[in-house]
Amino acid sequence: MGMIKDIMVGGWSLIAGMLVTIRRIYRPVVTVQYPRRQVQMSPSYRGHIELKRFPETGTHHCVACGTCMRFCPTNVIKVQGEKTHTHSEKRANLYFIDFSHCSLCGLCVANCPTRTLEFSDEYEMAHFSRWDGVVDLIHRLEESA
Amino acid sequence: MAAAWNSLVNVLGPDLTRIVIGLVGVLGLVQINALFLVWLERKVAAHIQLRIGPKEVGPFGILQTIVDGVKLVSKELITPRHVDRKLYMLAPVAIFLPVLLSFVVIPFSETLQIRDINVGLLIIFAFSTFNVLAILMGGWASNNKYSLLGAVRSVAQNVAYEIPLLLSLLSVLLWCNSLQMSEIVESQSRVWNVFWMPIAALIYLICATAETNRAPFDIPEAESELVAGFHTEYSGMRFALFFLAEYSNMLIVAAVATTLFFGGWKSPPFLGFLPVPGLVWFFLKTYALIFGVIWIRWTFPRLRFDQLMNFCWKIMIPAALLHLVVYAGIIKFIR
Repeated sequence: MGMIKDIMVGGWSLIAGMLVTIRRIYRPVVTVQYPRRQVQMSPSYRGHIELKRFPETGTHHCVACGTCMRFCPTNVIKVQGEKTHTHSEKRANLYFIDFSHCSLCGLCVANCPTRTLEFSDEYEMAHFSRWDGVVDLIHRLEESA
Repeated sequence: MAAAWNSLVNVLGPDLTRIVIGLVGVLGLVQINALFLVWLERKVAAHIQLRIGPKEVGPFGILQTIVDGVKLVSKELITPRHVDRKLYMLAPVAIFLPVLLSFVVIPFSETLQIRDINVGLLIIFAFSTFNVLAILMGGWASNNKYSLLGAVRSVAQNVAYEIPLLLSLLSVLLWCNSLQMSEIVESQSRVWNVFWMPIAALIYLICATAETNRAPFDIPEAESELVAGFHTEYSGMRFALFFLAEYSNMLIVAAVATTLFFGGWKSPPFLGFLPVPGLVWFFLKTYALIFGVIWIRWTFPRLRFDQLMNFCWKIMIPAALLHLVVYAGIIKFIR
């Protein structure tokens, strides 16, 4: 008797499984046909870093203090700044990162004293040359304007 | 055209002409069937997994398998160094030819049947047993542990599942009192056999899935353990022949199930007034069954080998034997 009960219960579980899969056939698909359509990245996504644009000044607040450069565990950040005249504050005019070595640890973003760094939502990062991984953040900010 | 036809008949005789033309037609059917089934399988799998599946080549990706076929034809035929050359080259042919020959007796419609032999059913299963031999040849000749293990598993499985398969068909034979395919179809004009003997139909369908090495009985070619089983060492068109044979086998077991249990080319009794030719009914039923097999494949996980064997020897064979005895009694004393 036990065996017959097993067969009945097992048979019913098989039918239940098949009902599950047949219902899926009519459900809308969940994949995105990537090159033709793209999804909005979630705010917690980490692309390479970029300079934030502040609405009150219309530009970044980087003072080229070099904190990010010193904190970076893989030394991928190079930042340089200059003063326009003797008593003005320093402003970054060169900001490069080599994304091919970046581990996205986020120490630069966490330690920036002026809070001007953030993660971008860039995800198409495949390149043909190792130099293509170098990103000019100042140039990027100017382009996005 | 007529002159060419007449000269062909004169040279070969009417019988041989019929077989030659029939086999050419079957060859075309087998190729188109494989192209269609691969596409159908990928589409069904994709939609069950909430994807789209092939869509780039042609409308709904229908031409994708043709492109794959062209790729396979253009690939190099690699023969590894330590194989048994003769058997290695013979195995793909040996697996494909019997499949082709089985189509000779299948009644596609009232008039479309290559040869209506009075031992039709026997012929199909005589040829389909070659399958095991060809798999063993391929697996042994490849001189590869995965191939050999796949072949051994396949032979053990096919030999085991052949028994309940034939036992379930035996009760159909008793019921219809004939081995001739056309007579079996004729005897189902009013009620299909599946309504008289649903358990035999179920046993047949389960065993047929196992015979064609389809999931959940696909342990001979279990990807995760055995690479690809008995055809691990095959490439290019030789691999394609194994593939073609697998999909043609699916068509055959579904066609046999249609003929034996689902009324063959006859329309369902309550739809007899529709002006649909028998050929369409036949293929509708056959592909509905194949869809069921594909659906099963993408629902259930693979069995373990001992589970598979226990299921066959402890459940299927006793059930098929009991079914046979009960139906023999019914036929002898009641009908």
